[in-house]
Amino acid sequence: MKKLLLKTFLLLLLSQIHLLAKDYNASLFGIKSDGVTLNTPSIQKAIDFISEKGGGKLKFYVGRYLTGTVQLKSNVIIELNEGAVLVGTTSIYDYSGVNGTKALLIAEGQKNIGVLGKGVIEGQGPAVLEQIEKQIQKGYLKETILQASPALIAMNNCTGINMEGFNLQNACGNFISFSACKQVSIKGLSIRKPAVKEAKGFIFAQIVGLNMENIFVETAEPEIQSDGMSKNITLVNCKNASGKNLMMKN
Amino acid sequence: MTYINKITLFFFLLLGFQLSAKDYIATEFGVKNDGITLNSCSIQKAIDFIHEHGGGRLVFESGNYVTGSIYLKSNVTLQLDYGATILGSTNPFDYVKDKKIGWMSMIFAVNQENIGITGKGIINGRGFITANNMVNYIHRGVYADPLKYDRPNETNRPQNIYFRECTNIKITDITLKDPASWNQTYDQCKNLYVDHITVDSKSYWNNDGIDVVDCDGVVIKNSYFDAADDVLCFKSHSAQHICQNVVVDNCVGRSSANGLKFGTVSRGGFKNFKVTNLTIFDTFRSAITFAAVDGGEIENIVIDGVRSINTGNVIYLRIGDRWSNGKKPYMKNISISNVYAEVPLGKPDVGYNFEGPIEDLPRNISPASIVGLLENKIQNVTLKNIQIVYPGNGNPMYAKRGLTPEELDGIPEMRDAYPEFSQFKELPAWGFYVRHAEGITFENVTFTALKKDYRPSVVLDDVKNATFSGLQVNEPESKGKQQVFPYKSSNLIIK
Repeated sequence: MKKLLLKTFLLLLLSQIHLLAKDYNASLFGIKSDGVTLNTPSIQKAIDFISEKGGGKLKFYVGRYLTGTVQLKSNVIIELNEGAVLVGTTSIYDYSGVNGTKALLIAEGQKNIGVLGKGVIEGQGPAVLEQIEKQIQKGYLKETILQASPALIAMNNCTGINMEGFNLQNACGNFISFSACKQVSIKGLSIRKPAVKEAKGFIFAQIVGLNMENIFVETAEPEIQSDGMSKNITLVNCKNASGKNLMMKN
Repeated sequence: MTYINKITLFFFLLLGFQLSAKDYIATEFGVKNDGITLNSCSIQKAIDFIHEHGGGRLVFESGNYVTGSIYLKSNVTLQLDYGATILGSTNPFDYVKDKKIGWMSMIFAVNQENIGITGKGIINGRGFITANNMVNYIHRGVYADPLKYDRPNETNRPQNIYFRECTNIKITDITLKDPASWNQTYDQCKNLYVDHITVDSKSYWNNDGIDVVDCDGVVIKNSYFDAADDVLCFKSHSAQHICQNVVVDNCVGRSSANGLKFGTVSRGGFKNFKVTNLTIFDTFRSAITFAAVDGGEIENIVIDGVRSINTGNVIYLRIGDRWSNGKKPYMKNISISNVYAEVPLGKPDVGYNFEGPIEDLPRNISPASIVGLLENKIQNVTLKNIQIVYPGNGNPMYAKRGLTPEELDGIPEMRDAYPEFSQFKELPAWGFYVRHAEGITFENVTFTALKKDYRPSVVLDDVKNATFSGLQVNEPESKGKQQVFPYKSSNLIIK
């Protein structure tokens, strides 16, 4: 009897999880895979919609999805399937930031979020950098190159972050920047082709619970920059371009 | 102030003016004119920059610029050069539904001053595609809307321009095309100047020409409108505000609704209007409709010089009681003069996109009308030098409203109905019908029916103090017919 109850309970729990984790194709929200249409508001609408409906996956299939900054919301996972490329726009005024860091994908104060899949996040770093330099030169942009350069992913004060399997390339700024986040899992990422020499693979500040496995990072050293204020860190098989194991100060 | 001081001040003013008139080229901010790139953020950056640096013009040189919602700021003018087109994004999600305004728009301005959109360029909302994309999103359950009449609510489709509580607005020379909703709305603004604009606006339902809501100080002149919905539409959304001090001159309009319209939302009212040299053609409803159906006050209106050609109705003045909330509506001191009008037998807007809806007939051709309420009479209306040519041909076997007390009293009051000239179905006159009014003057008015009609030309019902001087009625085969029929009316003078 007890076993039966437990089974029923488990089944119920499973069905609940299934309900919560509904899948949504990007096209449902009019998101275009042509590499030309700027999808920022449509992707944002999709994320907001999925989050409001209790969460789920926003699935991108093969194609180039041009976008400016979008904000991840609680219980939303972005799934980039093989061949799906989230492309950062070269229009620099389409980027905004979190905690002083501009990025293509940002999150602030959200829970249970992530990016999964075998796709790519492409920053178009060299072209973005060129635009930033031009706008600074003309006097329209009052920021420094460093302030203006968008990272690919920046999150602040989030809990339960899951990044797995995808490739990041051509970031204009740093690739991934997390601050004051808890329970962060990063697995199987490949990080390549920084546009700026000084750009880092990871910037971490005050992380509690960080698990990194099977990471390849091709950026300037140290590939992981840390403020030394993070706790509970595990790094397994994280290598730089010369095959050296990555280290991180606790 | 000494003379020198004055000169210095003048110099500074001039200097200030020059500074504020600085030109900035849009593409310099990374705005693309390729007709593909969504430029909302870059254009916004440019506007903000100019606004923060003393003002000036953001110049769009020849090319196609795609954008979603942007907010115009004080002292910034969007200059659209000849050959420049601002293309509205066709994706509804690229537009903001402004929280204060409650509508979507491409170009917003809220609480700004000294702003404008100028130049011989085009703003094309591409609203047909945008509206239909919105319909798709609604069907997929991604956007919530009841789809009343199987279309998204007006507020869930972007307009081209929506300015709210702005002062000193200049809209000149531009062409405004194809929004998904109303075209351009100026709401609670002061000093609006519109000159030489062209509006081509029949891409979706509710495409008005221009909506002026509760504004004070308005000039609209030398402009051309072709719109699916009302052309020159003055509204009063707020019972605490009045649309007033308005001059309209030398405008031409075509509509599948009304030409010059006050209302339908008419809560505060409309005062001190002067409309001159107005041409309305191929228009489904009335050349002129004044509606006070929501408690609004209408007074001191002068209309001088109207050509109304192939238009379903010429004049419709109406007091009703729709959303008055206890407020007493009135309409008084209206002067309409120098009008030449031709009313057709067929549908005037046939063949235009989003034609006006065909009503459930029968009715013969309706007369121009002034219809108040028993307790709120329309007062002091002067009609001078008016010529209206009707098709006549009213056939009592098709629809009949005779002159017996039962039949005249049987015309419904329709206090809370939507005001349209055709709302009463068959009316008992072919030229002019007046009910619940005081002080109506017809001076040198000619009604012509091209064919014999079973009805008289004019019926007055519950009218006090009506004066006709120089009334001329032309109707074939109608010698000796009584052409003016008073009922429950007093002090009628025919000179």
